[in-house]
Amino acid sequence: MSSIYFIALPLLFGFATPIFAKFGKNGIAYSSVLLQASLFLLSIQLFVTMDKSIIEVIAIAPPLGIALILDNVSIFFVMLFTFLVLMGSLYYLKLREKNPYQNEAKFFILINMLLASAIGLVLSSDIFNIYVFFEIAGISAYILSAYRKTPKALEAGLKYLITGAIASIFLVFAIALIYLHLGTLNLALISQGFTALESDIKLLISLFLLIGFGLKVEIFPLNFWVTDIYEGSDAFTDAFFSAVVVKAYLFVFFHIVYLFLPHKEFTLFLLYLGAVSMLIAEIVALRQTNLKRLFAYSSLGQVGLLFVAFSMQEAVSITAGLYILLAHSLAKMVIFLSLASLFEKYKKEDISLFKEMNSPFLRNIIIISMLSLLGIPLLAGFVGKFLLLKSIAFSGLFVLLGLLVLASLIESVYYFKIIGFMFSKEERGEKFSLSTLQRAVLLTLTLGIILIGIAPFLISDFIATASSVMIDVRSYQNLLLGAN
Amino acid sequence: MIEGILEYLNQTEVIKTIVILGSMGLFFVGLFGLLSQRHIIKVFISIGIMEIAVFILFIGLSFQKGLTAPMLGDAHTSFVQMNDPIPHAMILTAIVIGMAVLALGISFAIEYYKLTGKNRLDQMNEMKH
Repeated sequence: MSSIYFIALPLLFGFATPIFAKFGKNGIAYSSVLLQASLFLLSIQLFVTMDKSIIEVIAIAPPLGIALILDNVSIFFVMLFTFLVLMGSLYYLKLREKNPYQNEAKFFILINMLLASAIGLVLSSDIFNIYVFFEIAGISAYILSAYRKTPKALEAGLKYLITGAIASIFLVFAIALIYLHLGTLNLALISQGFTALESDIKLLISLFLLIGFGLKVEIFPLNFWVTDIYEGSDAFTDAFFSAVVVKAYLFVFFHIVYLFLPHKEFTLFLLYLGAVSMLIAEIVALRQTNLKRLFAYSSLGQVGLLFVAFSMQEAVSITAGLYILLAHSLAKMVIFLSLASLFEKYKKEDISLFKEMNSPFLRNIIIISMLSLLGIPLLAGFVGKFLLLKSIAFSGLFVLLGLLVLASLIESVYYFKIIGFMFSKEERGEKFSLSTLQRAVLLTLTLGIILIGIAPFLISDFIATASSVMIDVRSYQNLLLGAN
Repeated sequence: MIEGILEYLNQTEVIKTIVILGSMGLFFVGLFGLLSQRHIIKVFISIGIMEIAVFILFIGLSFQKGLTAPMLGDAHTSFVQMNDPIPHAMILTAIVIGMAVLALGISFAIEYYKLTGKNRLDQMNEMKH
């Protein structure tokens, strides 16, 4: 039953805050970090002691009841999310001394809700539970986005909320159609019955699912407001949006695609959608001057790349996708967390900030993260990009290959522009150094990027199993229905 | 005459056709509002209408004539001759979530209006440089 702790404990944290508040003014902050640390350790423990494939199936009165599945691929996401949220919370422990959020108890509740719902999205194998976690993640993200209550933050929150509400309507519509035609909400039963449906109903359901999830995973052309949302929110919360929330939605979307629509025709569309999305995002990113906006466009580009990787529907490219996802989450966490400190210090969000910045440590780790996003060898981003381009080349999709290489070239232009700003010989102010804890957090994340880049074989077995589990629909069905 | 019309309307196909046409009409009213209106509160109302349309469609189509509500009571002591309770449970959850989201949205809109005096989406341009 341990996988239920990942969802229940962070949610229960909210109710327990009055007790933690009794431990002094740091009580809530430290207990939140403690909770996330223990969840991370729990996920490590589950990972270490797991069997070859399945770890845990919790099915309460299937096929109607709740079912949670913790298998190789979902443990990957659980470990990633708990780790990233833990790192973010540790970083915030120092950030809050100078620039805390108002009503911090609420802020910690929201962060934990975000963690619980991201994990819930990944674990649940019931489409209505997915809808509920979809909404919990959405609501906590809207509030986090508007948390500062400045005009910009409120505008971002409103835009996030409107897109999210539209997304949830289409998701409910899709779920209603699925239930009316198949009479079940269980993912395994739906995936068994889905191929037998009439083709126009299938098209309608997949269209609604694409709109519903597309608004959340920031795919072109549904990402019109995403950059506004990133710019209006705090850099600290952007780190969570980019590294955790979007990744959870992305995984669920492709999990549903593999289960329902394992046809090449549908995924060919997603493939080119991803490539076009990446190309457009990188082109628009070129002329951005606001840093949050610029890195938001870079996130959109990376999501496009992930769309390509997951739409290939082959174990090799999914492996590549998981590597890219891991590298991107780590890098964006580093970048947005360091931006949060830099904005707070220099009181500006413009790209010229890097001309004033005087902090060799932050400069170096931001450069390492950007080079990793670009896919420079010996960094984590290279492994995924290389595997993906190789598998595309083997499939003979050379137009797609050309689009991706072109997008990466454009991406490199603005990354190198930023690096140029960092080394420009301008007058720089006094040296800015972070506290030890913040350095440790950023250093851990950066070491992760370097370690995966130098020695991908450390995790290659695990990721290869995870990707083969993710695409293996038949054994997922057996796993879920066999639990009866 | 009246009885004939009622008899006709009482057929399952007719009821379901009315539900489909009505709820889809409502859905497109909401969609039109969403695309044409720029006042924030009107956008939220449009979203609410679209949500309600989906709920009506789902409940209306999953309802079967001749079966009772899925509740145990004086006359019903076992779960036979009852409608499927799952759509009701689902829609109840969805209504609560939808209402919470809209309430949150309106509270954002009020705060935003207090700070900036703006209440239209096309005036929201804090991010434009």
